[in-house]
Amino acid sequence: MGANEKFAAIRKGLLEFLILKIVSADTVYVADILQRLASTDFATQEGTLYPLLSRMRRDGLLDYEWQESDAGPPRKYYRLTPAGRAQLAELNDYWKYINTTLNQMGR
Amino acid sequence: MQKVVAINLNGRAYHVEEPGYDALVAYLDRAGTTLADNPDRAEILRDLEQAIADKCDRLLGPHKTVVEAAEVDRILAEMGPVDAGDGSAAADGGTAAGAEGAKAAGTSKRLYQIREGAMVSGVCAGIAAYLDVDVTLIRVAFVILAVVTKGVWLLVYGVLMFVIPYAETSEERAAASGRPFTAQELIEQAKRNYADFKTNKDWKRHWRRQQVEWHRRWRYATAPHAWHAQAPYASQVWTRATAPVFGLINAALTLALLFGLYSLTTSHSAFGVPLPDGVPLWVGIVLLLGLYQAIAVPFVAAHRAASHPGPPGLVLWMSPVWNLLWVCAIGYGLWYGYHHVPAVHDAIDQVLTTLRRTAAEMQER
Repeated sequence: MGANEKFAAIRKGLLEFLILKIVSADTVYVADILQRLASTDFATQEGTLYPLLSRMRRDGLLDYEWQESDAGPPRKYYRLTPAGRAQLAELNDYWKYINTTLNQMGR
Repeated sequence: MQKVVAINLNGRAYHVEEPGYDALVAYLDRAGTTLADNPDRAEILRDLEQAIADKCDRLLGPHKTVVEAAEVDRILAEMGPVDAGDGSAAADGGTAAGAEGAKAAGTSKRLYQIREGAMVSGVCAGIAAYLDVDVTLIRVAFVILAVVTKGVWLLVYGVLMFVIPYAETSEERAAASGRPFTAQELIEQAKRNYADFKTNKDWKRHWRRQQVEWHRRWRYATAPHAWHAQAPYASQVWTRATAPVFGLINAALTLALLFGLYSLTTSHSAFGVPLPDGVPLWVGIVLLLGLYQAIAVPFVAAHRAASHPGPPGLVLWMSPVWNLLWVCAIGYGLWYGYHHVPAVHDAIDQVLTTLRRTAAEMQER
């Protein structure tokens, strides 16, 4: 098992964190999120993203509003709710803590 | 040259080549099944349709108005398999790992009956899929066995017919032949089906598409239950095994009813209870039918539940009431005909006389 596969579960768990980060920077629609992730190890497909976004919205982390687009029908633009913002701050702190732990354990 | 199907994706019309349409239907059907327990199911399906529409838009232009089948395949590959959205979302740095996972999960083989292409019940088709050999071979083997064992094998077939569950969902159908179950696989399947039906008559193709559509709508309608899909294999075997028992009880009850009806019409008494004076025969018949319904309802419901697993509630309750209404309607029709239409009167009299004569002859022996 290569390093890439060993970390598959970690990437899976981090995807939600990443989406919070992407949405916090800007109000985005799904294609933006996919594009941001596409060039990374977290490349994701619509089939995964839509159900995940809908669950995060149900959890109250994000919300969307319809915005007219130049090309085609209106789009859903996502943004963070206060709860989402709080969770992102928490996750950021925790990530730093994990990082410190990792660094302290050795080389 | 390919036939083109006009479709509506989230409110906009698109023209898609027919094999592409089949692949789309398979993809959305699969997505709908996966999301069966998701409260935002309808919304996610709309989003997915919209995403597919956006991808189509990018391909189309003033001089290109049709989405080709190969392009649909590419779009669906880009979309990727739909997750249930219960936190099991996979970021796998590409599709390969996800496909591998689905493969590992879907390859366990199970023995199911397969309705598609079944001659009698689908036992042979199921065994053929399980052993990965041609159905005809299994059928020939069954016939030879039936002849050699002087018919005893038919009993075995009967038992298998009742005990082996049907492959109802796409996952189960995939498990029946041990094929990996992924969206891609379904698309391939749809393509194969298409190739098969191309050689057949048109109506068959339409019929199949209609069935797929009904299936999809039915899944929409029964989404919150997702009852059958979750019933584990063991409990399916159990319900299948109890089905014949309830069936026998039902048959016995029906025979008792027929006997009661017969004695009521011939001697104006059923099971030793005479019809009170002044009560017309048809009231007695309706009372008897009502009594039968009251006794038989739980057994009929249990039998139905066992032999047609599906969401409980509606089916269990509606069918006996419906049956009762039907029986009442038929009974009333017969009664009316007997009293007001000479031809019907004569016909019924004749049938009753024949029945009486047969019964008398049987008693003499």
